[in-house]
Amino acid sequence: MKEKLFEQIAEAVIDGATSQVVSLVNEAVSKEIPVGEILNDALIAGMNEVGALFKDGEMFVPEVLVSAKALQAGIDIIRPALVEAGVKAAGRIVTVTVEGDLHDIGIKLVGMMLEGAGFEVINIGVDKPAKEIIEKVKELKPNILGMSAMLTTTMANMKDVVEMLREEGLLEEIKVMIGGAPTSPMYAEKIGGHYSADASEAVVIAKQLLGMA
Amino acid sequence: MARKRVAKERKVLNGGFYKPLTEEGISHIHNTSMEVFEQVGVKIAYKPVLDLWKKAGAEVDEKNMIAKIDRNLVMKCVEMAPKEITLCGRDPKYDLILSGTRTHMGTGGTALNILDIHTGERRSSNIRDVAAAARVVDACDDIEFFVITCFPCELQKPVVDVNRFYAAINNTSKHVMGGVYTVDGIRKLARMAELIAGSKDAFKARPFMSMITCIMSPLLLDKDYTALMETACLMGIPLATPCAPMAGSTSPGTLAGTLVQMNVEALSGIITTQLLNPGHPTLYSVVPTTTDLRTGAFCFGSVEMGMMNAAAAQVARRYNLPIYNTAGPSESKVPDAQSAYEPAINVLLSAMAGANYIHDAAGLLESGLTISLQTYVIDNDIAGMARRVLAGIEIDPDKLALDCIKRVGPGGNYLGDEHTTAHMRDEFFYPVLADRKPRMVWEAEGKLNAEERARLLAINYLENHKPLAVDPEIDSQIRREIPEMLTETGKVYGE
Repeated sequence: MKEKLFEQIAEAVIDGATSQVVSLVNEAVSKEIPVGEILNDALIAGMNEVGALFKDGEMFVPEVLVSAKALQAGIDIIRPALVEAGVKAAGRIVTVTVEGDLHDIGIKLVGMMLEGAGFEVINIGVDKPAKEIIEKVKELKPNILGMSAMLTTTMANMKDVVEMLREEGLLEEIKVMIGGAPTSPMYAEKIGGHYSADASEAVVIAKQLLGMA
Repeated sequence: MARKRVAKERKVLNGGFYKPLTEEGISHIHNTSMEVFEQVGVKIAYKPVLDLWKKAGAEVDEKNMIAKIDRNLVMKCVEMAPKEITLCGRDPKYDLILSGTRTHMGTGGTALNILDIHTGERRSSNIRDVAAAARVVDACDDIEFFVITCFPCELQKPVVDVNRFYAAINNTSKHVMGGVYTVDGIRKLARMAELIAGSKDAFKARPFMSMITCIMSPLLLDKDYTALMETACLMGIPLATPCAPMAGSTSPGTLAGTLVQMNVEALSGIITTQLLNPGHPTLYSVVPTTTDLRTGAFCFGSVEMGMMNAAAAQVARRYNLPIYNTAGPSESKVPDAQSAYEPAINVLLSAMAGANYIHDAAGLLESGLTISLQTYVIDNDIAGMARRVLAGIEIDPDKLALDCIKRVGPGGNYLGDEHTTAHMRDEFFYPVLADRKPRMVWEAEGKLNAEERARLLAINYLENHKPLAVDPEIDSQIRREIPEMLTETGKVYGE
C-alpha cells in the first residue's frame, strides 16, 4: 500500500503536478508514514527519475524546474516533522555572482537544479564583493559556496574570495564550487575550487563533495 | 516509471513566401513556353505516344517524330490533371498531400556508389545499400519520403526493379518512389503493390509507392523511358516525369530560358500521361540544374539551381499542378563543409518557395553519383531547420506572452515558468546532430566533428532502428509469385 502511494508521489513529482504532490503527501502524513521515508522513497526518488530523464534528453530544463517546484511543495509539508525527526537536508549551498558581474541566469539555474536534488540553496545575489561574501558565509554556515562569473575580467574576483576564505580559516569547513563561461577545471584547481560545466554536472559535483555519491 | 514521450503529430507546413519570379515574370515564362510548344514542338521517339498526341490534335512531323501543339490543347491536358495528389506511406502518419504551397522534403537517386559507412571508401552500391539507406532514412524524422537512392550494381537489369523497390519498402514505411528500368519490372511491381495493399483498389486508394520515368533535355521524350511511362500510367501507378535541363549545355545559358524549356518538358509529361489516362496522378516534375561553363562540369548544388527550383514552384502553381522539384545534392565527394552548405541553401530556397515534393534533399554527394549514410543524418538536420522556417513565427495573445512577462517581471527568469514549459517542445527545433554541448563535455566525448557524429548515428540507426517490415505472410507470397526476388533483398549488412 505504502509503495503504491510512494510511486504516485514520485510520478506526480516527475509530472511537476504540484497540487497532486501536496495532496498525496498530506495523505501519506495522515497515514502516519515516517517522514524520512516520504522524503527519500517518494519525493527524492521521483526527482532522481527526473534527473535520469533529463540526462536522456526526455525532459527539458524547464520541466525539471517545474518538478523541482513540485518537490519543494512536498517537502514544505513535511519540513517541521523532518526537523523534529532529525532528518537533515542534503546540505546547504550559498550561491553568488562575484563583484563586477551582473549575470545570474546560470547560477539561478544551478540553484534550482540543486534544490531539486534536495539541497537547501540560498542565493545572495549579484555583484557581491569578497568581503560581503565572507560575511554571509560566516552567517549562513553553508556546506558549499557556489560562485559564478560570466566575464574574464570578473573571474579573477573568485580567487580573492577563496584567498579570503583561507585567511579566515573557513576553507576547512566548506567546499567551493565555481562555474560560468570563462571558467575551466584548470582555473578551478588553480584557485582551489571545483568546476562544473553545467547545471546537471553541478548537482553531481555537489553530491560528490558532500560524500553523497 | 520511465515515461514515454508522446509522438508529435506531423505538422502541415506551407512555403510560398520566397518568390524569385514576379507575376509578370511567370506570365512571360508561360507565354514563351506556349510558343515553344507551337513553334518548336517536342520530339516523341516512341510511336504509340506520338500517335496519341497526333490523335489529340498535335501537328506531327512523322519523319522527325516531332509534335507541335497549340496552347489550347496544352491547357486542356493541364486541366485534366489532378490538382492534388496524395502519396501515402505504408504508415498513414507519413501520408503526403501534395497541393498548393504544402511542402515536403525527401531523398533522391539514383547513385551508383556509396561511401562505405565503416571504411569511408567509395565502392559500387548494392542491394543491401538500398535497404540500408531506406532504414537510416526511416529513422530520420525530418526526411519525409524515400526516393530510392542507389542502384544495385551487382544485379542484372531485368531483376533490378522488383528487388530495388522491395528492399526499400521493407525498410521504411514512408512513401517509396523510384526510377524503373523495364516494362516487365513495372508490371511485377504493380502486382507486388497489390499484394502489399491487399487489392488493386486498395493500392489505388492508398498508393504507398510511385515511379519516376524521365524526359530528356532538350525537348525529347525518348523511346525507352516513354514506353515505361506508358506502362506505369496504364497500371495506375502515380508518376513523376522529371526533366533535367542543364543551363548552358542542355538548355539555354540563362535561368529564364532554362525555366521556359523546363516548363515545356514538364508539361509534356503531364500531357502524355493525361492523354494515356485522364486524371492520372502525375507530378509536374523538374530538375533544373546548371553547367559550370569554366569547365563544362554538371552542377547539382549551384545556387542558381536553388533559385530555378524555387521559381519552378511558382510556375507549377500557375497551372495548379503539384510539383516534384529538386534540391540538396552536392558536388562534394565526401561529407564536409561543401556537402552541407550547398544543400542547406538549396533546400531552404525550395522549401520557402513552397515546392510540394522536394526530392534529392538528402544523402547525395558527387553530383548525385554517390550516397553516404552519414549524409542522410546531416541533411536530416538541414531539413528540420528548413521545416522550422516554414512553421514561421506564430502571433497570438498566448504566444505574445504578456501574462508570462507579468509573472516573471524584471530580473526574473523564464526557465521555470509554465509558459516556457507549455511551448518549448513546439516552438523550437531541436537538432539531432548539432553539437551544443559545453567544450568540456565535447572534449570528454572524443572531440567528434559533425561528420563523425553523423557516422556513429547512422550506424546506430542501422543496428537498432526497427522499421515496419512487410507482413511475413505477404512477404512469402511475394517471394513465391516473383521468383527473381533475392533472399537478401530487404536485408542490410550483417543480417
